[in-house]
Amino acid sequence: MAETEALLAAWSERSGGEAEAWARARTGPSLESVAARISRVPQEFLDERVSLRALAGDIVGGPIAAQRFDDDPRVRRGAGIALWLVASEGVIEPLEPALAHGRTALAVDALALRVAPVADPAAWTSDDERRIEAARTFLLWCGYLPAGEDAATAASLLAACDSLARDRALADAYEGHRHRAEIARKLDEARRREAAARYSSE
Amino acid sequence: MSDAGAAADPDLLGGLALAEYAPGEAAVLSDAERWPTLDPAGAARLARWRTHPDAPQWTHATGDRLTAEQAERVRHPLPLDGWIAEHLDAARRTLRYRGMRAHAVLDDFPTIARRDLVDDLAAFVPLDADLSRMLHGTSSGSTGAALLIPDDVEEVARGFHLLVALAASAGVPIVAEGERMAVANLVFQRQAFTYVSVVSSFAQRAMSRLNLHPSAWPGPDARERFLADADPQILSGHPTSLAELLDAGLDAVLHPRVVFSGAMALSGPLRARIEAAFDCPVFDVYGLHETRPIAVRVDDGPFRVLDRRVHVEVLDPHRDVAVPEGEMGEIVVTAGENPLLPLVRYRTGDHGRLVTLDDGAIGIADLEGRENTRFRAADGALVPCVELTQQLQAHGAEGWSVHQGPDGRVLAVIAGGDEAGARAALAALLGEPVELRRVARVIDLGEGKPRRYRSCVPD
Repeated sequence: MAETEALLAAWSERSGGEAEAWARARTGPSLESVAARISRVPQEFLDERVSLRALAGDIVGGPIAAQRFDDDPRVRRGAGIALWLVASEGVIEPLEPALAHGRTALAVDALALRVAPVADPAAWTSDDERRIEAARTFLLWCGYLPAGEDAATAASLLAACDSLARDRALADAYEGHRHRAEIARKLDEARRREAAARYSSE
Repeated sequence: MSDAGAAADPDLLGGLALAEYAPGEAAVLSDAERWPTLDPAGAARLARWRTHPDAPQWTHATGDRLTAEQAERVRHPLPLDGWIAEHLDAARRTLRYRGMRAHAVLDDFPTIARRDLVDDLAAFVPLDADLSRMLHGTSSGSTGAALLIPDDVEEVARGFHLLVALAASAGVPIVAEGERMAVANLVFQRQAFTYVSVVSSFAQRAMSRLNLHPSAWPGPDARERFLADADPQILSGHPTSLAELLDAGLDAVLHPRVVFSGAMALSGPLRARIEAAFDCPVFDVYGLHETRPIAVRVDDGPFRVLDRRVHVEVLDPHRDVAVPEGEMGEIVVTAGENPLLPLVRYRTGDHGRLVTLDDGAIGIADLEGRENTRFRAADGALVPCVELTQQLQAHGAEGWSVHQGPDGRVLAVIAGGDEAGARAALAALLGEPVELRRVARVIDLGEGKPRRYRSCVPD
């Protein structure tokens, strides 16, 4: 099983930035509709014998970052439930607007690498708060705000149910990974966008 | 961006071309993004200098990015009241100092060094920093490893007004004057970023970064004609480029109101030559990219620590304790001008003595550490050490020692990097074989700051 901090670090590099995610999020399906589908995850999506790589390829059309950690049961189950959310639109009916129009692979990685390491996916079907946390996280990284919420409200409600906040040491470690990944990303962006005129030699 | 064509410089063949200096390589913004307040007069100045018949082959395009509000703000220095307490608060909002107790004072902070920034730069950027203001700057550094530094858009722009304020302190007011360029920042090296810009906070007057190397210009006399036409009010550069101005007789066409030398030690004789040539104040500025300007002097006496967000200590090179006042030690700087990199007790690798000046201000005497070394190539040309730095860094070296004896023989040791590539690059640069070997770590070069360049060519 992978170290929890290693999974969070992998997510920090994968995410592309939380501020950016909130900035691009648009009105999406209702929170309840997503949470309800989490409750109905079929057992085959949690089957340890199924290849995560193959399942992701079939459902989101390509690899996911989480498959590097497919020996971790938390990651497997988290990814399996997230892949079910995407697949459910073909099995039941599309949500409105459809999840398939969003960033589905990123949302799968968010549940597998950001939520599953700190909130065991086994609880997502039995514990209302954990299920809501998973649903909110999925919507955000898929590119959506829960229907009826603005970004500020959605951000506040997600922060309030964030399991990571209950573990101070882990939260600090995650903040470090997140910050380092963000600085690296911003410096790279800045490098590609020109320096500024300078007036003297240093 | 200039419409200058690719600089097909045959000197750059043989593995010496550094991709980032290719014309237009890093120019991606529109003029409206480079100068958000650009007015028709400013645009006309840009057009004029970009298309000037004697203009150099501009290799880059860049602006100051200032909004109207920012352009107004940068005209004024940051307030100094209580800045250290505010600065330490900002530092405590970094990963590096997150565990520091709330009332920790400066002495409680352990010193840091360039290696710390190279290893984990993000740990020194406040968690709540406004990253939308981030620009990037690269510091070639004095201990070898290149460092990408998060520059702050307002802090960089405020650098121009620091020059203006220093000139004023010497009794030289700088105000927009006709179409004279406000400032020309001069370099003298085979490959360099060059650009023309306008200073949004200075009546949109033009400024430029110019490479005096002959290969940068379209013809033999273009450099002189261009400089005569631009006649910048402020000249800034380093000793190598300022010496080239005089050696090439370009002082005859220039009338600067003030000259600034930085990056390397300005020798007394060269200062005297510049003063004699231009009859104006010559400031020697001591600073590092990561700390910004620290101290200046206008004579051969001690440097005067600037009246800005900078605090200087002189410590034992191996322990975090101050040396007795007046004794030599390592210069350690707490630097608060750049909100994206609030450095606390940063070991510069330079050495000097802390002294009290006649008026009570803090000074640095006997400053050591900034090198202005030149090497003689096989064809007799002088090659500034910055060109060797560019090549050694491009081949991954983290530190080095390069020595040229009186017989011209060059011995080099590099720490890390591509041994064969570095050897070939130096040989191409100097036009003769170079004896080069590689060691694994910077420490293998010897204790303390590597004395990287030694040459028998006089300053």
